[in-house]
Amino acid sequence: MDAQCKLMPKLKIKLNVMGCLSAKPKPPDNTRTLRAALLIQRWYRRYRARTEIRRRYTWNIFTSLEYAGENDQVELYNFFNALLTHIPEAAAAHRPSVQRDSEISIDFNEDGEYRSDKNYDGPHLKFPLIKKDVVTLIDVFRKKKSDRLLAKYVGGILKEAAFKLKRLPNLNQASTAISKQITVIGDLHGKLDDLLVIFYKNGLPSVENPYIFNGDFVDRGKKGLEVFLLLLACFLAFPGAVHLNRGNHEDSVMNARYGFIREVQQKYRRNSEKLMLMIEEVYRWLPLGSIVNNRVLIVHGGISNTTDLDMIRSIDRGKYVSILRPPIEMAGEDGIDKTEWKQIFDIMWSDPQVGEGCKPNALRGAGTYFGPDVTKEFLAKYKLKFLVRSHECKPDGHEFTHNGQVITIFSASNYYAVGSNKGAYLKFGPQLDTQFVQYISAASKTSKLSIQQRVSIIESSALRELGARLRARRDVLEAEFAKLDPKQTGAVTVTQWSDTMERVTQMSLPWRLMRSRLAPQFTQAEPNLVNYLMTLELLDTDVIVQEAEASTSVTDALYKNKSSLEAIFHIIDKDNSGQISLEEFGEAIDLLRQYMPSAGTKAELLHMCQMMDINKDGFVDLNEFLEAFRLCDQARKHTQTSRSKSSRQSSTLVAELAEHLSIQKLTEVESDIDPRDHVSVVLSEKPKIKN
Amino acid sequence: MEAAIPINNELEQRISDAFCIFDHHGDKRIDIREVGTVLRFLGCVPTEQEINEVIAATEMEESAGDVHLSKFMPHVAQLIAERKMEPASPEKILAAFKVLDPEGKTYITKEYMSKMMMEEGEPFTQEELDEMLAVAIDPITGNIPYEFYINQLMHAPKNSIYELAEKYWTLRPKEMKRVSKWGSRLSVR
Repeated sequence: MDAQCKLMPKLKIKLNVMGCLSAKPKPPDNTRTLRAALLIQRWYRRYRARTEIRRRYTWNIFTSLEYAGENDQVELYNFFNALLTHIPEAAAAHRPSVQRDSEISIDFNEDGEYRSDKNYDGPHLKFPLIKKDVVTLIDVFRKKKSDRLLAKYVGGILKEAAFKLKRLPNLNQASTAISKQITVIGDLHGKLDDLLVIFYKNGLPSVENPYIFNGDFVDRGKKGLEVFLLLLACFLAFPGAVHLNRGNHEDSVMNARYGFIREVQQKYRRNSEKLMLMIEEVYRWLPLGSIVNNRVLIVHGGISNTTDLDMIRSIDRGKYVSILRPPIEMAGEDGIDKTEWKQIFDIMWSDPQVGEGCKPNALRGAGTYFGPDVTKEFLAKYKLKFLVRSHECKPDGHEFTHNGQVITIFSASNYYAVGSNKGAYLKFGPQLDTQFVQYISAASKTSKLSIQQRVSIIESSALRELGARLRARRDVLEAEFAKLDPKQTGAVTVTQWSDTMERVTQMSLPWRLMRSRLAPQFTQAEPNLVNYLMTLELLDTDVIVQEAEASTSVTDALYKNKSSLEAIFHIIDKDNSGQISLEEFGEAIDLLRQYMPSAGTKAELLHMCQMMDINKDGFVDLNEFLEAFRLCDQARKHTQTSRSKSSRQSSTLVAELAEHLSIQKLTEVESDIDPRDHVSVVLSEKPKIKN
Repeated sequence: MEAAIPINNELEQRISDAFCIFDHHGDKRIDIREVGTVLRFLGCVPTEQEINEVIAATEMEESAGDVHLSKFMPHVAQLIAERKMEPASPEKILAAFKVLDPEGKTYITKEYMSKMMMEEGEPFTQEELDEMLAVAIDPITGNIPYEFYINQLMHAPKNSIYELAEKYWTLRPKEMKRVSKWGSRLSVR
């Protein structure tokens, strides 16, 4: 205590005259205070690192889930493509059963779409749209209690937009000559609040304030329709000031899986099919990319070592209603023109990689991974300075890669979960100098939370989603664990557990670091053993079951995408009789199983066909075919739910784990969008160029 | 591609796991800016100076700004076996806070804490300070009741990395003299 007493008088002085401390020279005995401070700092930073790690692996989980999902989808459509290639005669004979073109009538059924107790209180739109209409739409869309726009106005916007888009070339030509600047927006994914923050901060589009929107306007977020309509309205009201690029989610096949179709169905119950057809019309005429000052190429995904801008310019892009489902008309005597199709795939789906070279993008199942050498060569060939792309969510909303030659720009903040990432937009000056504006919308939701709390919320969200995916593979997991534990002790080693999880989910995640959340230790005495039965039990708890039911499987998505199912039906129906025989189905199954070994054994699938034959006449017609998919999927969900009902007696440990996963749900209370509710920062970043 | 790095025991597994979580491209490399977080996650409590030393010792010559696992793992295992960067006991942290509270008030004011953390030792950034204060401050008094705060945050891992190192790592002979059970210069006495 002596030492402390010596120190006290000096400290007393310190405490009394705190305001003037900076003027005084530091007394030498201050070393003790310094050491104390240092100790506290080190200790605190250690604590903080744990939170940082959790944030990291949570991020890994989200991105892995996203790409794995896309991969599934693409797998299914590879099968579809194979069908077309192997049964070209059938494809050639097939006539599209759906009317395309602007011949689609705009007679909408407005009855009962809206509140039946009052008349329509929303805006009435007249074409051509002007700025006032855009302002009105923003005001209507952002308010929770607004009436839905009349279906006929939605249709009107879609029809006008498709008409005008059709006249544009495949690559938009943009320039900073007049405006001296241009703003590039990345993925929005239905985040209307982010779009409104952008317009609030950066102003509405005009000749002096042009914009390029780089695709992925819909899916995942709840306001995809509003975002899409607002962008199209801007495109119509501010001619020449708004350039739209198509993204990989501007595709009804993706929309079936990732929520946009469901959104349209919920918002326009009676008119959703017609509206989706009109939306597809807009999709097929969206340009494939933009070029600024002949120096910057802006496409949604990226490039490959075979990307050829001249070929891209000359493609008839209108053929590609969906990118994932190649146009039937193309399956002529030579099969599909794969080179042309690949060009489009590559610019919509590719991702940059660190290493050199170019290889197929195994993570997503489509497009390529392209290296810095590919970028360098490509930019040199076309005398470009930058490649700007989106497609990948980044924690800071943007990223420079490939020695500063590639810019990723992602504009949906809170994309995976509230607080998961910032969004950003890119501004080019007249000399193509770059500036980024980074933001988080609806900042008030998280501002009162500590970092710890925020990370916990996001982490729980990720683990729930992961749990849903694990649940879909529960049977396989159970079987694999059983193989490793022939004596049925209920335990496997941590390594065995991690390896099995990785193998079954095909997701490369830090399983060891997540173990404590998904599987408790077998006993205190043996920390190296894991109780895998509890992992399985966890998958049957309410919180996971609910999450799984809310998600969309590939079969779900297939069913929702009726036109795809119809097309498959027509292809299988080789003799065009309007019915599929068991024999015809058998051939298709062989093909399906080549591409989707998880689809089931041949016997199971043939059985499915027999089940499809509802009226038992030995043949399956289109309605039975469609119905079968729906029933099949319902049955699958039912067995899972009933299994979980029977094993409701979860052990306390499992209940604890489940509790942890659900305790952190942020209740989503919908309110009016206020674009002022955001935090943002402007960054004048230059790329760090090595060598 | 890269040759696989052999992992012989749980110590190496743990180092590898923590390291690889920052390996974004699957090539067993991380950015030097992540080294601090990795070390802390393993259970070490390095100063910024010590982190810089680790970076200097393990940064790749052929790729500045990156650290490869093959160099990181043995270097860090050795440091841990030598009991470097070891966390202080709760008693030591408490003693440290008490130095900042010589009058024994059992709390520290927000202003004083901010000043200490931002000006002394290896200063906090504004962000770090805001985060700490967000949790540490008692909303009613506006002060930091440090004993309560320490208890909230103390994390005593079973199976600490230092125990693992004792079990699995063979010290290089010349270093053995310097190992002391209680770590280096953490005492505030």
